[in-house]
Amino acid sequence: MHAFDVVAGLLVVLAVVAFAVGSSALARAEDIHALYWLVVGVVSMRAAVQLARPGAA
Amino acid sequence: MADPSRSNSDEREVRAGRGLFERLGDIGTAAQATIPGLYAWAVTVAPAAWSRGSPLLAKVIACAGLASLILAIPLERRWPRYGRPVSVWGLVSTSAFVWALAPAALLPTRIDAGRGVAGMIGWGLFALASAAPALPRDGDDSRIVDGAPLRPRGKIPRGDAWFIGAGALMAIGLQTVGWNVAVPERALLVRLVALAAGLGVIGAATQIALGRHGRRIRPTRRVRVRRSMAAFLGLFVVAALGLALLLAGR
Repeated sequence: MHAFDVVAGLLVVLAVVAFAVGSSALARAEDIHALYWLVVGVVSMRAAVQLARPGAA
Repeated sequence: MADPSRSNSDEREVRAGRGLFERLGDIGTAAQATIPGLYAWAVTVAPAAWSRGSPLLAKVIACAGLASLILAIPLERRWPRYGRPVSVWGLVSTSAFVWALAPAALLPTRIDAGRGVAGMIGWGLFALASAAPALPRDGDDSRIVDGAPLRPRGKIPRGDAWFIGAGALMAIGLQTVGWNVAVPERALLVRLVALAAGLGVIGAATQIALGRHGRRIRPTRRVRVRRSMAAFLGLFVVAALGLALLLAGR
């Protein structure tokens, strides 16, 4: 397993934490906080997938 | 002429690589249907039998339904013909009797929507496991091609299940958030967001697992950094924005 795969795994964990915090904020009707954390989650997950996916392009 | 020792080793290799559903097929139809049957019984029959005002007979019949599910497992091993009918008809008929004896438990005001949906899923899974179980292992005499079983061209590296399992576990963890919302619309929105996030996490875990296999098209370090640069830049911007908002709020 390469260091990049480890970083990708950590980014997925970060995304999960961000999604959990975002969902929790959404449940408390704190929409701005929720939006912020959901964006963090989406961007982290995107970075993880881009880092780990196979293919030369 | 084929080498017999080679044929045996091929056969052993194929059998060792048998999948979950093939191994599941060995345990029998009634045993496969027991778990969803127990779930359906626990969600829809037991609450009716033990509801306020239901007669003792309903409780006895509910227990008989549970017993028929469990009894079907050894019965199927001894007499394969009778295992499935005992499991299916035993549970279905006793459940119908219980609901007939305690009709008040089925009133719309007494049934929670979540429990209703869970019960539907439980009965659906029970029907699926009973009617279309995993196929039992084929015997050697059922093979129509002479010679040893074909060797697979390649092997799937081990460890993928751990990645997918970890992703699924995190996705399930996300579903535990936000169940105490009073407003129905917001509760629905929270569930929708949590579900979408869970699916995304499973997808990302699958991508990472698949990324380990493509050796011939494994990207170089530079390619990886270049194509993930935009996402990292976005992450940096979002983090900086969050920090700025935090400092401005103090």
